[in-house]
Amino acid sequence: MSTVSLSTEQAPPISVPLRFFAVAPLFLVLAALIGIMGDGIADAHTPALLAATHCITLGFIGMIMFGAMQQILPVVIGSPMPSSRLVAWFSLLPLIFGTLSLSGGFLLGNSVLLHLASVLLGLAFLVFIIASLVSLARAAARNTTATAILLSVLALTAAVTLGIVLAQGYASGWPLDYPKLAAAHISLALGGWVMLLIVGVSYQVVPMFQLTPAYPKWLSVGLAPALFSALLLNLASNYFEIHTLEFFAVCLFCLCAISFALVTLRLQFRRRRRVTDATLNFFRLGMISLLCAALCAAATLIAPAHEYFRQLSIVIFILGFALSVIHGMLYKIIPFLVWFHLFRGGVKKGVPNMKEVIPEHWMWRHLWLHIATLLAALLASFWDAAAWLLILGLSLQGVVLSIAIFTGIMVYRRTYQRLAKV
Amino acid sequence: MNTIAEFMSTDHRACDLTFATAEQAALTNSLSKAETAFETFRQNMQRHFRMEEEVLFPALLDAGGPGGPVQVMRMEHAQMNELIELMAAAVANKNTQEYSGLSETLLIVMQQHNLKEEQILYPIADRILAAELESLFSRMQAIQ
Repeated sequence: MSTVSLSTEQAPPISVPLRFFAVAPLFLVLAALIGIMGDGIADAHTPALLAATHCITLGFIGMIMFGAMQQILPVVIGSPMPSSRLVAWFSLLPLIFGTLSLSGGFLLGNSVLLHLASVLLGLAFLVFIIASLVSLARAAARNTTATAILLSVLALTAAVTLGIVLAQGYASGWPLDYPKLAAAHISLALGGWVMLLIVGVSYQVVPMFQLTPAYPKWLSVGLAPALFSALLLNLASNYFEIHTLEFFAVCLFCLCAISFALVTLRLQFRRRRRVTDATLNFFRLGMISLLCAALCAAATLIAPAHEYFRQLSIVIFILGFALSVIHGMLYKIIPFLVWFHLFRGGVKKGVPNMKEVIPEHWMWRHLWLHIATLLAALLASFWDAAAWLLILGLSLQGVVLSIAIFTGIMVYRRTYQRLAKV
Repeated sequence: MNTIAEFMSTDHRACDLTFATAEQAALTNSLSKAETAFETFRQNMQRHFRMEEEVLFPALLDAGGPGGPVQVMRMEHAQMNELIELMAAAVANKNTQEYSGLSETLLIVMQQHNLKEEQILYPIADRILAAELESLFSRMQAIQ
């Protein structure tokens, strides 16, 4: 067991996570702009929709998770990422340019851009995955969070590898079984990386933010391995085309996701801290969405409109579950980082508290905007105008979040300069 | 209680409970309740800090435990004490808004501090202080 990691310097410099957070919302705006160019969202395989989706998953979700992991790992597993600044630059820049080239490659059908994207994104994820594994290997705490994060990183490695194979395949015209590979890529990226990471971090932050009871042991010990097994079974069923196995894998995954969402909602209902803030509601919305996404995924097994439910499940998972949880986390992390990095200096007087960094009413407005965007996304396949509302909502969310993050950065800078003069 | 981790974590949860009660009272403008609830919270926190700083940490260091992490924990106690004093002023001035912001801040500092103690420091203490658990518990319980 290492104890060296529990030092004063274990938190990365504030510029490391904030750099990722500052860039990420711009990709929501970009996704919306690409959506304008597309011809609606009726077909998930149009180049514009592929480009827009990757702007959200890589440019926004991936970007935020890269930054947040640097900040969260020292707290939840007691071990920081090695060389935080170097890792930050070598994951941030290739992720930005890799996502731009990938989206450009899809939109223009340009194979050079797709090749370039594979190299850049491969580099970004390689750096991030190695740094995460080093941090996990050095972790003092061997807890259920560490297990979930390890499994999520393994799923990410497989998802990225498949993503690169797919991009290279498109670019070079390889005769691959694209629908099969794409299905595996999506299930590993969303059901593996995003889901397992949120599960692992929730074990710690849900009780921490609202003073809820801890997650029951059967869930915190069993959930991540069960989710991961369901993913492996799904891959095997996909590869060998065994439909009974697929049925079993999807049922197991949905059961796990539903249990996680219900237990989290119940814990939050039993919270000792009764104050309701926007963050709590973002989190609750995320869990309700996860519940709906799981039910839609289960519906694909029995309903005749198989493809419709599959797409609906993915949309609700990304926009309703992942984005809600991320927004909620950001509105806690950013004010805390600003306070933490200012308060640990010598002068304490005049350091703004967490509620003086980003105004609360701003977070509530973002919550309502997010709910409206989500409703528009649900209606978009029946009603053309809703697709435009979705595009508008997404771009406004990018702007609202950018303003919130820059407000945080400005509060930090101004206070820092004022304190330096004292 | 069989371990330091269990003993101290239970005390963390007790402090959390008084924190939530104090916050609820302060934010719902029941001023007389807020003062009493805050005072209970402050005393609980100070008792917990003293249990660690006067009994557990010295025992840990004497047994050759890690100095760096103990130093960080002491520093975070000092940080929390400063926030608690600012909160005391907010209660005295009946400044609900100020209290709410400080309370939000203290909660995160407190919780991430607890996580580090519960997952890293207490398990170390349990390992190297296994022989003297009973005496440690009674000395900590004696602190008022």
